[in-house]
Amino acid sequence: MLLFLVGLWQLLWTWGLPDYILGPIEILRHFFAALGSAELYDHIGASLMRSLPGFAIGTLLGIALGLAAGIARALDQMLSPVIFLTYPVPKIVMLPLFMLWFGIGDFSKVLIIALACFYPTFINAYYGAKSTPTILVWSGLNMGAGQWQIFRRIVVPSAAPLVFAGMRVSLALSFIVMFATEMINARSGLGHLIRVAENSLRFDLMYVSLLSIAILGYLGDYLLRLTRHRVLAWQEQAA
Amino acid sequence: MRRQRLFLQRMLVGLRPFALIGVALLGWEIIARSGLWSPLLFPSLVNIGHEFGLFVSRSDRLIEAWTSLYRALGGFALAAVVGVVLGMLMGRSALVADALNPLFSGTYAVPKLALFPIFIFVFGIGSLSKIALIFLECLYPIVIVTYHGARSVNRVLLWSAQNMGASRAQILRRIVVPATAPFIFAGFRVALPVAMIVVVITEMISSADGLGYLVIYSLSSLKTDRMLAVVVAIALLGLALDRALVALRNRLVYWEKLETYYVS
Repeated sequence: MLLFLVGLWQLLWTWGLPDYILGPIEILRHFFAALGSAELYDHIGASLMRSLPGFAIGTLLGIALGLAAGIARALDQMLSPVIFLTYPVPKIVMLPLFMLWFGIGDFSKVLIIALACFYPTFINAYYGAKSTPTILVWSGLNMGAGQWQIFRRIVVPSAAPLVFAGMRVSLALSFIVMFATEMINARSGLGHLIRVAENSLRFDLMYVSLLSIAILGYLGDYLLRLTRHRVLAWQEQAA
Repeated sequence: MRRQRLFLQRMLVGLRPFALIGVALLGWEIIARSGLWSPLLFPSLVNIGHEFGLFVSRSDRLIEAWTSLYRALGGFALAAVVGVVLGMLMGRSALVADALNPLFSGTYAVPKLALFPIFIFVFGIGSLSKIALIFLECLYPIVIVTYHGARSVNRVLLWSAQNMGASRAQILRRIVVPATAPFIFAGFRVALPVAMIVVVITEMISSADGLGYLVIYSLSSLKTDRMLAVVVAIALLGLALDRALVALRNRLVYWEKLETYYVS
């Protein structure tokens, strides 16, 4: 199906499409040409330097707080209402505020990416910890396991599948937000590159940057699924 | 004495959900009044409230909100119709699933936002390019969750309906659609905030109207209090849409209680 669509696209292109749509072969040619130059790598590096730390901070905080809220009632009552209330709010609106507070540089971008990544992992870790089978906890208690042991041996493994599901959503979000922040204001990165290309009508560059972000997104998702497969070998992957 | 203490304790527990919000607001106001930072960075709550009052009372601002809402809901509605149909088809027909599933799972992790500059060239810089992008971003969660739901319809129900001589259309209407409905709404619930995010982002990047534009414009004119008022408005709008969706869901899918926040 995918091949068919790409074939159709190529056919349409040779038939004659407007300037701003390039054929697949043309795009690949530009892409490999760009791979030879250092500039593309600089932009990719700059983008990753923003999205990866943001993703790491956001997901780690989300997992830690989500698990904690899932097992401790006091924390649950304090934290969860606020988070569920603000979950449907688009987090990107905080960017201008963060820019005022923390400057226009990378720090505010990393922070906003972390904020966006926090929510899905928190919610998934929270439900993962909450839905731990009570029977397992009871049998653990019966067999004399301590609090820490129960957390480590029972709660964490039973929450893990949902945690990974949350991380997958967060990873996709981190790329979206990274791209958005770079398009709004940045001096480097793939989002910046696509803006520059757009303004100077360099359609080849536009598609190169689009293709690189697509590949990055796909690669990140693939790596995450691979990790999940290794870590959760005992649990069959659903969907 | 004892009863009084018990009452107090219960009240404290009841107030817990608001504790964090209260502390945050209080902290904000203290910082704003302390004079350590410029009011440009931390405008006081009173100013923000004043600007918010202006926001809801002036028609030109409300038109901006309507523009954003129209784009977000337009893209979302399109994605809902197309996504549910595609997801159902994929779930009920192996042929369609084989054809479309690689397409959706292969491009799932790719940020569709990157297509926005191209959409601007194809659809113009107005509402259409934004609606098209929102449609694309919302389509994925809806299709994937609907597909998942339509595939997991209880087989026994399908068999008994067939046994009792139900036609294909009847089976679809009476069994498949109700069984998939909770999943469809779960997909909607993921997609609606996405629609809000994308509309704000695209308006921030390139637009001359809408709430996202208003945020950037107020920031450029150093009206931080106005910007924060718009941010509050966007937040409330996102919240209200989500609440409305949940209310609709609970009315239509009344037989199944909404337990988890969303199905992932």
